[in-house]
Amino acid sequence: MTTTFTPKDPVWCSGCGHYGVRGALVNALSELDIPAHETFLLAGIGCSGSIQNNVNAYGYHSMHGRVLPTAIGAAIANPDLTVIAAGGDGDGYAIGMGHFAHAIHRNASVLYILMNNAAYGLTKGQDSPTSELAQVAGHSPALDGMSMGLSIPGATFLARGFTRWSDQLNGLLIQGLEHVRAKKGFAFLEVLSPCVTYNDTYPDWDAQMYNVDEDPDFSCTDRGIAFQTIERLRSEGRIASGLIHQGEQSAFEANWIKEGLCPANLEAHEPQKNLDTLHDIMTSYST
Amino acid sequence: MNIMTNNIKLPKQTRLCEDINVMVAGQGGDGSLTIIALLSHALRQRGLELYQTSNIASRIKGGHAAAILRASKTQHGGIGDNLDVLVAFDEEAIINAGPSMSPDGIVIYDISRGPLPEGCLGPDVLVLPVPFSRFAVRDLRRDLFKNGFGFGLVARVLGIEDSEAEDCMRKRFKKLSKAALEANLHALNLGFGIADEFGIKHGDNLIELADAEKSERLSISGNQATALGFLAAGGRFFAGYPITPATEIMDTLSRHASKIGCVVIQAEDELSAVNQAIGASLTGARAMTASSSPGIALMQESISHCGSAEIPLVIVNCQRAGPSTGMPTKTEQSDIGMMTQGGSGDFPCVVLYPGDANECFTIAALATNISQIAQCPVYIALDRSLAQNTATVAPFDLESVKLDKGKLLDEATLKTLDTYKRYAITDDGISPWALPGTPEGMNLVTGNERNEWGQVSTEPENRIAMMDKRARKINAIRDLLPGGVEHGDPRAEIGLLGTGMETGVMGEAWARLEEQGVKTRCHRPRTLSPVLDDTLDFINQCSRIYIIEHSESGQLERLLKGAGCPAEKLRGIRKYDGLPFSPGELTDLILTREAQG
Ligand SMILES: Cc1ncc(C[n+]2csc(CCOP(=O)(O)OP(=O)(O)O)c2C)c(N)n1
Ligand code: SF4
Repeated sequence: MTTTFTPKDPVWCSGCGHYGVRGALVNALSELDIPAHETFLLAGIGCSGSIQNNVNAYGYHSMHGRVLPTAIGAAIANPDLTVIAAGGDGDGYAIGMGHFAHAIHRNASVLYILMNNAAYGLTKGQDSPTSELAQVAGHSPALDGMSMGLSIPGATFLARGFTRWSDQLNGLLIQGLEHVRAKKGFAFLEVLSPCVTYNDTYPDWDAQMYNVDEDPDFSCTDRGIAFQTIERLRSEGRIASGLIHQGEQSAFEANWIKEGLCPANLEAHEPQKNLDTLHDIMTSYST
Repeated sequence: MNIMTNNIKLPKQTRLCEDINVMVAGQGGDGSLTIIALLSHALRQRGLELYQTSNIASRIKGGHAAAILRASKTQHGGIGDNLDVLVAFDEEAIINAGPSMSPDGIVIYDISRGPLPEGCLGPDVLVLPVPFSRFAVRDLRRDLFKNGFGFGLVARVLGIEDSEAEDCMRKRFKKLSKAALEANLHALNLGFGIADEFGIKHGDNLIELADAEKSERLSISGNQATALGFLAAGGRFFAGYPITPATEIMDTLSRHASKIGCVVIQAEDELSAVNQAIGASLTGARAMTASSSPGIALMQESISHCGSAEIPLVIVNCQRAGPSTGMPTKTEQSDIGMMTQGGSGDFPCVVLYPGDANECFTIAALATNISQIAQCPVYIALDRSLAQNTATVAPFDLESVKLDKGKLLDEATLKTLDTYKRYAITDDGISPWALPGTPEGMNLVTGNERNEWGQVSTEPENRIAMMDKRARKINAIRDLLPGGVEHGDPRAEIGLLGTGMETGVMGEAWARLEEQGVKTRCHRPRTLSPVLDDTLDFINQCSRIYIIEHSESGQLERLLKGAGCPAEKLRGIRKYDGLPFSPGELTDLILTREAQG
């Protein structure tokens, strides 16, 4: 065995929700027997953006807000990898919002875990676009990633978990991983993961969370019902948790996979092996 | 046809031409490019080398548009001083191009929209007025057929045989319906009829073009050649966002993507484009992005990140006139500062600058390999002229392209190692690299300062070791970087130095100065970062050097000063009106500065 880096213990404050996310991810990866070297975990910038240091996988630390395009590029370039992107709510809903909307729209097979603590942890507690989720009405209502995702046609997997509800979270992570490994497209999992240091939302969220998985009237395949449920819960001061939506839509990379295209497979791209094609391309400019 | 042919005195002698510049200009929808394309085809049959540029507002239809074709026995890599023939579909064309007409030039003017504007043309310019548009609508029911008329007349003027002209049209329009082709051929014949009325009968051409030996050529733009070089070197992942004048790179790759198997993605913005390319690169795929000045400005954080995290990436910057949105369709070289000094922090970065389409191909292939070897960002600097103008060039040397994987580790090699550290400190600064998917190579890649394992570290000693390691990588690849191209008398005191779009015009100015007894030597650097020793040697050997560039503030000159070139030796010849230098203009500017002492 070659000795490589050993995943470090997290540097998070004790009690931070992110421990729960990491634990659930490690469980899900081992439950599905996904080999560590085939797992590529990419993270944004924030307290959440250090999770790749603490999991047995290839890891990458992106720029603030850019983890999604990077993960999409990796997933397309080597479809044999299980690609997981992770980051905070500032990373995904503020600076990275443009990419977030387009990632859902594009539907490339990447699992995106957004650790929502309704605050900026790393920069010491500033408000985030979801801050109001935790607070009482007054200023502009919090952005809701599930409603946003539902509004984008082509969304194939939208879910919300809560670090305190570890069974559900484990299940959602497994479902999300299965979704991307089956090349069904983009799986979005928002995890409510409190920042105990700057914005301890545990007491609020403990009281507010509502498990839609156990609601017989809820349907994760019906966008209308999902929307209505989220809105109704919101008006009651509650937050929907569980598998919010599952849809069918061919994955962004489906055609390339069908053609057997793997940009990362350098052997296939040796110039010598492609001389005839290159020559044909070149002579299309002959005059 | 009833056109006004009285008062028109044709020259008695046919003019011999080894080097001809033809412009076709009108409104965007007039189809100026059609006549130029037909002419290109005909002149290529004569074995002439072609160079073509167009001056088109961003819109496809509407707005003034002009296409210029230069045909000559040797490739000059630019447009000449004067226009020999102008086909003008409107008044604006005469007003704009009038001053560029050669004194004994020929203007074919469409008088359908109004009479020839006064005072724009010299006394000896021959004007052939024809209401093309009116004829086209009257006889063929469509304005666009005026191009067929126009081509017929131009063909006669240039001594292209009627049958040759017809043949060009059949080849060029082979995708049109039979009826449309017939209508165009009809228009062409009507154009011959008009020539007859002017007295320009078959064989009575006004200009006699030189013949040259026809060698194998590609007709290709810098953008297209860059795309091909990337594919040749195993490039199989591209992400970009549309922007003039870089879009053709994405278009070219899309056009060939299915044949060779290349992923081409139009991202939601430049930040996404560059980061998708980074993501692909992290898996070992050879990845490239391309944009133009403002788009490259957006990518700066990500490019610095590649420098820090040691990620291979090729970035093409088709520079356009700035600052900011500037003049999107005009040329400039004013991002040299951003490419060589931009981004945040200190990091290794290579900037290569080709001078013609052939070099675009070789440099794109080289950049793809170098980025892998050094695990760092490599820019290919282009400018609008180089990127979009097409020229005839020798076919590319496909066989010479190799795929160099640098220090990529495979599973077998990894297994023989006791330990594997992604950022191992090595003599040449380059650390062996294991890709996701490879057993036993697990690692962390980060833009944060880190230890050899890839774990974040701000420890001062480690910091210095890591910064020095990254800086060393440039020396490790120095021998692979393309040196400057020189010509002229090595003993000349006066140096001319320019790069990219200045390549052709600098050569022509050199020849003209030589004719006037002014000895100069030229140096064209192809690597701007790092500045190579041969460039410094050249400057040391000359007593004064004219730095020819398209930048108001003299960014190339500043780069050279920063590399240690003595400021008192450097003389800036700068242009920033959006247009390339013409050979005469550049020669005069140098002569004037010489006269000033
Ligand atoms: C371009 C850029 N802008 C700003 C920052 C500073 N910054 C680092 S983390 C962060 C926000 C982190 O909040 P969040 O994404 O919610 O993650 P958390 O720390 O709460 O897990 C900011 C603004 C940065 N690193 N890069
Ligand atoms: S600051 Fe907040 S988010 Fe960051 S580690 Fe501490 S508790 Fe977690």
